[in-house]
Amino acid sequence: MSPADYLWVGLGGGLGSVLRWWTGKLVAERYVGDFPLSTLVINVSGAFVIGFLSVLFEVDWRDRYGSALNAAVLTGLLGGFTTFSSMQLGAAELKARKRGMLAMFYLLLSTAVGLLAAMLGAAIARVHA
Amino acid sequence: MFRTIVLIFAGGALGAVLREVLMLRVPRLLDGFPLDILVANLVASFLLGWVTALHSRKFVSDGANTLLGTGVSGGLSTFSSFAYGVAVLMAASAAGAVVAAAYVAISLVAGYFAISIGLAIGRRRPSKPPN
Repeated sequence: MSPADYLWVGLGGGLGSVLRWWTGKLVAERYVGDFPLSTLVINVSGAFVIGFLSVLFEVDWRDRYGSALNAAVLTGLLGGFTTFSSMQLGAAELKARKRGMLAMFYLLLSTAVGLLAAMLGAAIARVHA
Repeated sequence: MFRTIVLIFAGGALGAVLREVLMLRVPRLLDGFPLDILVANLVASFLLGWVTALHSRKFVSDGANTLLGTGVSGGLSTFSSFAYGVAVLMAASAAGAVVAAAYVAISLVAGYFAISIGLAIGRRRPSKPPN
């Protein structure tokens, strides 16, 4: 892990976070409702891309800081783009509005669809590898 | 708009570097349990709850909320590594599938507790009213 890798993670994380904010704005302009749809869209698409790129780059999933590309894209960009904390905040806000069942459904749906998206991304990359 | 983007970029960069430090420092468990990502996600969830509650009481400015909430906690936490970690564990072995199920359950339940505790602490009235 070199100082340059930290720089790549930081640049990717900053850019991914701005993309997350911008995507959230775009979804919020088109969907108005109780369900935290923007975070779900962000997380599921990020899970798909990490599955796809991890296989494409042939990286071990635990060792994604070995090269500048892994540091910038997988740890930085996708880590900054997707968010676990906003998912939990969305669930807590649903619960606060007496929508506890929907909150639980949201967490389970995010995890299930995110998992399927990651598997699908990896499968497509294997086909094309 | 430009100020918002700068704050989110700076916070997101800091959060992602903190996550990288955790990935290098937090020991990996022998059974493949991704403790580093779990710790990053729990710390970020607590931070987001705390900052959100303080912001709603106007104890934290809009700019600080954007920097710390949208930026740092969003950059520190990750859903992509969470989902892909579960996929890899599940594909590895029957034992890996058990670890994956535990990882999902602990992440979701403890993450929910972390944000709830953050929100509760942020909402707590100070013993003395601020001047």
